Amino acid sequence: MTTELRALVELRARLLWRRFTSRGGIVEGVASVVLLAIAVPIGIGFAVAIGFGAFQAVRAGTGLRADVGAAAIFFGLWQTWTAVSLTLNDREGLDLRRFLVFPVPPGKVYAMGLLTGIVGDPMGVVWGAMLGGVLVGAAVARPGPWLVLLLLLLVLFAAATIILVALVQEVLSAVLTTRRIREWAMLGSVGVSVGVLALLLWSSDRPFRAAADLLPTLKVVQWIAWPAALSAAAARDLFAGRALASLPWFAALALATALTGWISFRIAIWQARGAGSSGEVASSGPSPVGLGFRGGRFGALVEKEARYLFRQPLARVDAFLAPVIMAFVTLKLEPRIPAEAGEVIRALPLFGAAVYAHLLLQAFWLNAFGWERGGVRAYFLAPIDLGAVLRAKALVLYLFSLLLFLASAAVMAALGKGTAPGWAFGGALVLHAAMAPWLLLSGNLVSILRPKAASFAIQRSSAVSAFSGLIGMGIISASMALFAVPALLALRAESPATLVAGWGFLGLLGAWAFRKGIPREARLLADRRDEFLPAICGDDT
Amino acid sequence: MTDPLLAVETRGLSRLFDGKPAVVSLDLRVPAGAFYGFLGPNGAGKSTTMKMLTGLLRPTSGEARVLGADLSREGLSVKGRIGVVPDGLALFERLSGAEMLRIQGQLYGLDRAVAARRAAELLEAMELAAEGGKLVQDYSHGMKKKLALACALIHGPELLFLDEPFEGIDAVAVSGIRRMLQDLVARRSLTIFLTSHVLEVVERLVTHVGIIHRGELIAQGSLEEVRATGSLEETFIRLVGDERPAGPGLSWLGARESGE
Repeated sequence: MTTELRALVELRARLLWRRFTSRGGIVEGVASVVLLAIAVPIGIGFAVAIGFGAFQAVRAGTGLRADVGAAAIFFGLWQTWTAVSLTLNDREGLDLRRFLVFPVPPGKVYAMGLLTGIVGDPMGVVWGAMLGGVLVGAAVARPGPWLVLLLLLLVLFAAATIILVALVQEVLSAVLTTRRIREWAMLGSVGVSVGVLALLLWSSDRPFRAAADLLPTLKVVQWIAWPAALSAAAARDLFAGRALASLPWFAALALATALTGWISFRIAIWQARGAGSSGEVASSGPSPVGLGFRGGRFGALVEKEARYLFRQPLARVDAFLAPVIMAFVTLKLEPRIPAEAGEVIRALPLFGAAVYAHLLLQAFWLNAFGWERGGVRAYFLAPIDLGAVLRAKALVLYLFSLLLFLASAAVMAALGKGTAPGWAFGGALVLHAAMAPWLLLSGNLVSILRPKAASFAIQRSSAVSAFSGLIGMGIISASMALFAVPALLALRAESPATLVAGWGFLGLLGAWAFRKGIPREARLLADRRDEFLPAICGDDT
Repeated sequence: MTDPLLAVETRGLSRLFDGKPAVVSLDLRVPAGAFYGFLGPNGAGKSTTMKMLTGLLRPTSGEARVLGADLSREGLSVKGRIGVVPDGLALFERLSGAEMLRIQGQLYGLDRAVAARRAAELLEAMELAAEGGKLVQDYSHGMKKKLALACALIHGPELLFLDEPFEGIDAVAVSGIRRMLQDLVARRSLTIFLTSHVLEVVERLVTHVGIIHRGELIAQGSLEEVRATGSLEETFIRLVGDERPAGPGLSWLGARESGE
């Protein structure tokens, strides 16, 4: 290792150590350990299941069982890994921009950033355990030197997945940050959607069903998921004992990974070098965002929040991903819900979309001030009620979450087979609205007590602290448990009305708690400003 | 302690960080309408004092009256009457310059249309009109300083707090800001409380001076009273003292061979 890279490693290690030894660091350290403690058994549980799958596939060697097993292992793992990394990514990496001034090859810094990102990600334990499970399952089924090749395949698969996720993030960040490209991309996607819908309406009397029917026929789509497709192809040969035949797949996998890594790095360095300018020019005229809130301090706060959120790369990525992920859920889950299942069960995917729209935005409600950095001082300098600041943030975040839910619901309606009952959309709207005050109120508390300066570079920084992440898990779990009570009662009674009434009641209770809680949280924020401001702004008092 | 002729008055104002004093029993008296220069070496407690006077930091003990109002009890009303350019600035970097100014005006209670009109005028005055649509994050440091000053002025404050307004900006910008500040003091009864390291500029601007060292106020009064017969820089160095030891040899600097 060169002197420069050793210095980089030491820098990372020291920063990590300081984080845990500085004020509040012990809490962060304990939270990280707890997160790992949660991740390890989950990883082991999945590892046992996937290991059993590998065991069966290797024992079968050839035929449908082996083929389906290999595909299921790699496609399943790849899909969950990618989805989790893209939507709930909270890894701590290296910001390329900061290291451009040093005489260290940027490629090495980028590679190290990817590596440290994975090491610092608690979910990395889960993926590692699952890959280990595949190896152990295969070793028990058929011990032998071929396992070295399987190990190499798993390492290559992991590298390919990590690098493809990085590429998707770099592309999304680059494309969605530049205003003109973003607008064209949005226009393009709307145009394509309208075109596809028109085609379906013209070609079929069952337009919505036809959309779902069309997709499975596009077999070629599997190669888009090339880390999984190439790995599964190599694994099929390995499971069948054809080590030599698997080598071309290995070569293709390595080549594609190297190429993806190179493209990903080029985009990252292009962005890092162009970081002096966002390329974004805001409109000087009135914008649709501001029209609804023409005056007053609260209107100004809401407008500021809306503009900030819409200019936030993470929010843009979330807006893009929510309908995509829910489309996958619809295509995979809905066909498995039997028609004779009760109405409540058939409405579950839509309810899931309502909850997911909140989950996706958890970085924003758990660290509501993190991206404002020095700007946050304005709240304490201006003659405004801090409660109004919290209310404005909550309102904008709720509306944005609602937008994500509506987009997801539209996609689900288009791709679904119409199994959800008619009342489900209204019920999901009630669930979405009813959960909001609970999540936002508790999120405010975390934002005030554990603020963290966050970076706009979504790929290379974590948006919330480990402790906030842990508390966030607790808040989500508790909320879901609370809102599951009416669902269980409704299932028992087979009464959708019970469900909607129960959620409505919880929503009203949440709204009351929000109304009562905000002034208290505002006082807490004012009282804690001495600790709060340096944490967000990096003040050197 | 209420003197209507004083814009800022503190008594026994102190602040400790982890038990260590940053500001010790400060008794400041800033006359209304004065251009007050608050000077001190690095780490003397200037920014901490300014943060306490503007509501960004709570004092550990002592009292502070700003524009005749008790800061601890009437903080909100005081905030509406002062303008602040804090150290590190208070700008939302993902807003454009024009948006930042207008929204700032609205946060201080201005009607949207009034805030927009004043924002345009201020951008013009600060020579930022052409950059008004650009996001603040794309501004240079000097442009951000000018925008921060415009933000502090948009609601027409009676008292302006400026923390190191000349730090990190070029001579032309310094000259422009200096002229604007002098004009503001001359035109109306605006009080300016300013911290700066650039003693030469301060000497040409201020009417009153306070010098803080190691958290304690060691001199205060009109410029003439404090500097007596010498220059402000001479007085400052005499009061603060040059206690730094001579630097090491650094013989390796300039030598071609390295990597020992």
